[in-house]
Amino acid sequence: MGQLLQFVVTGLATGATYALVGLGIALVFQVTGVINFAQGHFVMLGALTFAILEENGTAPVPAALMALAGTTVIGLLVERLVIAPARGAHVDRLIILTIGAAIVIEGAALVAFGTQPRIAAPFTEGVVRFGGVRLERQYLWVSVATILAVAAVWVFLTRTTLGKAMRGVAMDREAARLMGISPRRMSLLVFTLAAALGAIGGVALAPIQHPDPGIGIALGLKGFTAAVIGGLDSPAGAVAGGLLLGVAEAIAAGYLPSGYKDAVAYGVLVLLLLVRPTGVLKTVRAVRV
Amino acid sequence: MKPRARWWSAREPSRITRLLGLAVFAAVLFSVPAVFTRIEPYTMSDGVQMAILAIAALGLVPLTGYANQISLGQAAFYGTGAYTSAILTAHSGWNPWLALLIGAVVAGGGAYVLGLFIFRVSGHYLALATIALGLVLAIVARQLTITGGSEGLPGIPYLTVFGTELTGDVAYYYFAAAVLLVATMVVGLVVRSSLGRSLTAVGDSAFAAAASGIDIARYKRVAFVLAAVLAALAGSLYAHWVTYVDVHTLDLLLSIQMLIVVAVGGMRSVWGPAVGAFVVVSLVRFSKEWLPALSEKAGGQVEIVAYGVALILVLLFLPRGVVGEIADLFTRLGASSPPLPASASPAASAGGGDAASAGSAARPAPVGKERS
Repeated sequence: MGQLLQFVVTGLATGATYALVGLGIALVFQVTGVINFAQGHFVMLGALTFAILEENGTAPVPAALMALAGTTVIGLLVERLVIAPARGAHVDRLIILTIGAAIVIEGAALVAFGTQPRIAAPFTEGVVRFGGVRLERQYLWVSVATILAVAAVWVFLTRTTLGKAMRGVAMDREAARLMGISPRRMSLLVFTLAAALGAIGGVALAPIQHPDPGIGIALGLKGFTAAVIGGLDSPAGAVAGGLLLGVAEAIAAGYLPSGYKDAVAYGVLVLLLLVRPTGVLKTVRAVRV
Repeated sequence: MKPRARWWSAREPSRITRLLGLAVFAAVLFSVPAVFTRIEPYTMSDGVQMAILAIAALGLVPLTGYANQISLGQAAFYGTGAYTSAILTAHSGWNPWLALLIGAVVAGGGAYVLGLFIFRVSGHYLALATIALGLVLAIVARQLTITGGSEGLPGIPYLTVFGTELTGDVAYYYFAAAVLLVATMVVGLVVRSSLGRSLTAVGDSAFAAAASGIDIARYKRVAFVLAAVLAALAGSLYAHWVTYVDVHTLDLLLSIQMLIVVAVGGMRSVWGPAVGAFVVVSLVRFSKEWLPALSEKAGGQVEIVAYGVALILVLLFLPRGVVGEIADLFTRLGASSPPLPASASPAASAGGGDAASAGSAARPAPVGKERS
């Protein structure tokens, strides 16, 4: 029982990152209809730049801010240089374009930083214990970062004019346009926001994951799984999906041979898509063609 | 995939145009060794790679080009073919041709079952499901002993065709090129058949297709199975060429590479994959040649930058791929000059004779001859 509780707690903490990645994917999908294959790469960039800046003696807080700013600019550039020029194209083409952007980011990171994993110091050293469960402090930081980021997104979407405009585009593009909201500006905004979310997740994750340029794909896919659990177009569902996935993975990793840990998330993704692609956490809507 | 107003008239090249195109294609394939063995930095192994890559990507023409379904799981089926051939021949000593057939059946069956579920709802779930499938297979292949774990499986025999063992790259190239030619003809037949028309309808507007009584899920599934079978065939060919198989045959990057091959070459043309494979293999070759320092630092993977940039540039500026744009150019030239008879049109001999092309905009296609 104590062991199971340990898995659940660790799982929730790991799931917090998946939740952030999933949130970014769900937001972009909702506003633009595009599945952004570069979302995991935003996390990778945030983590990698943070770790490298720290290795080179930058203090943690400026390093985190620089990583956040840098990744956000990359997100903005991806939208401006890759997505926006193809406007009017079929969504499938946009999706393939995000794959192109993802591998350019990964390749550029490989060329610039090499293949070796980077090591960042935890924000605060040590382990917390409660009720027989032990958790590295860094996991608490990951959870705090996720909670703050999710809360900020929620406030943005529900309490600000810009956020409401964004939800308007997500609900009905044409109607939003008639109200004077530019879907193009919203597309730019949502990609930038997604990159920032990715960077926050990356910075918090860096001390745990020892980032290298190759971690983007795996993170992105776990984010997709999270978002698909939530039905792909629900930000709240994506967050819940991420937490669920983290717990499922931690429990499976506890009882399965270690080599299969990653297979759990992908297996869950395949099964979900086959059996219930409209999401587990919501009621089925009209059948789409 | 912007709708083309004239698609119905520019659609069907005549039979002669098609045969001419095929003859040119065969001639080009035949002359590749003469060029590649003389011109630096190409080697004959690049030629074999191109042929295998083109076969593997060919199935994406009906699936992605016509039905608008993105698959990132081609490598899963390619790896299935490669591993099936490897296990059955090197491990159990079966006949390679039988093993190749079984690999194709296993991959096609897997795709069919996956397709039963995945096409019930549309959206972009296929891309996600196929990526995840490939990754699961790669993890499993790395763990099991029958697949040789992360070491892979060595000792796969060479293929023997008409009593000749195909050991050299040139001999193997001719064999792979012959397979590519046949596969291109088969896919050409498929996209011109009523199946191909239905797929076009599904890709252009799923709603309209469904309303016209087309079982869209079934057609997508058929295209998906065809893509899987061709990928498995290419995987088996690869296994018998390098005589060694490991988890790299299941790599996601390979699936992305195949998508790039069709995007660059032209998704709606059966010649697209061959052209795309030439461009992609050339990119790899030249980036290794010119950027060795960068490549070393990046763990030999610097070409993925080139892939990504090529993919983005092509999709932004040549959205119909090299073959599609060339065909388009000829169409426009043809439209501004007096109409030419089909067999005399320049596009006919320029290899543009695919479904969406070929100097025929000014010339309404004779409906009665469409299915010649």
